[in-house]
Amino acid sequence: MQKLTQGYHSQPSIFILLFISLFIVGCKNVPPVTSGVGTSQITAGEEYSKYLQVHNPKLAKQLYISDIKSRLQQDLLEVNLTLTSTYKKTLQLQYQVNWFDNDGFAVEPGKSPWKSLDLHGMQTQTVKALAPTAKATTFSLYVREVPEKAFKF
Amino acid sequence: MKKFFILPAVAISLLAISGCTNKSVVRYGDAAAVETTDINFGSTDLQKVAAEMTDSLLISPVVGTLTVNTRPVIFVESIKNKTSEHIDTESITDSISTKLLRSGKFRFVDMGRVASVREQLQYQQSGGMVDTSKAKQFGQQIGAQYMLYGNLASIVKSNQDQSDVYYKFTLRLMDLESGLVEWADETEIRKTKGKEYISW
Repeated sequence: MQKLTQGYHSQPSIFILLFISLFIVGCKNVPPVTSGVGTSQITAGEEYSKYLQVHNPKLAKQLYISDIKSRLQQDLLEVNLTLTSTYKKTLQLQYQVNWFDNDGFAVEPGKSPWKSLDLHGMQTQTVKALAPTAKATTFSLYVREVPEKAFKF
Repeated sequence: MKKFFILPAVAISLLAISGCTNKSVVRYGDAAAVETTDINFGSTDLQKVAAEMTDSLLISPVVGTLTVNTRPVIFVESIKNKTSEHIDTESITDSISTKLLRSGKFRFVDMGRVASVREQLQYQQSGGMVDTSKAKQFGQQIGAQYMLYGNLASIVKSNQDQSDVYYKFTLRLMDLESGLVEWADETEIRKTKGKEYISW
């Protein structure tokens, strides 16, 4: 009984310690996870598989890029991307296609918006993208989860 | 001994639940990022609409034949906003016409600047300041062959738990001489806003 009372009396200091530590550690925005799966620059018509890059192994387990096709349509490079989910629940994704010219220089950098894509359980879905100008001869693409803050205290 | 653990635990969970008050912080963000601040028409919708319409127009076979050896001249009529929101539809047409112009397949005339052009030509012709041999002449402009026009409509539904908005954007290309609609396409956007019961 004596011991219990002692413990009770020493609590204000523990409180203050906890409070301070929470203030130091907490109240901090954790940057969201923005990595995903994608490719490096692919020249039109080339086999895509050797260009695949996985930056987010967790996402790569739930999703794979099953096909990438490209062709010239009215002088403009058109890309057809097939995504397959291996996860039973809906995946909320975003994808972006970037364009490069013959010399590997970016065509209209920063102007290709992230597009949102809902991939339902085990679904295979195809999305298309068209180069903004005829200069674009190579492309790269990237798929990521909708970035959400893990913890925000 | 029990109390020794319970009180700090309660304190931590209270702090976690109530959260800390955030200081306001200014950051530069990604202009191309998906924006979901609220359910209204936003930057992501504008980018999606502009990109899809431009892509559809550029790869359409009809437009392919129109642009074989020539760059047709287009005039952009306004997009009618039939939604319940205030949306700057000129910003949508600006994005679309800029993308089309940059693709190198079309040329545009800008009806929004006719008054300024007239003023400048009048100054050149009769201001007495410009060399008459170098002054630009009236009546030399090229008339538009096609008109780009469209509608933006929405259906909004909501109950106490969630709200849903559906946008439909229609764009058409009309041959001004024959009155034929040469190309048309529409794109749809659905957005829902609901409550998340467990969220941090």
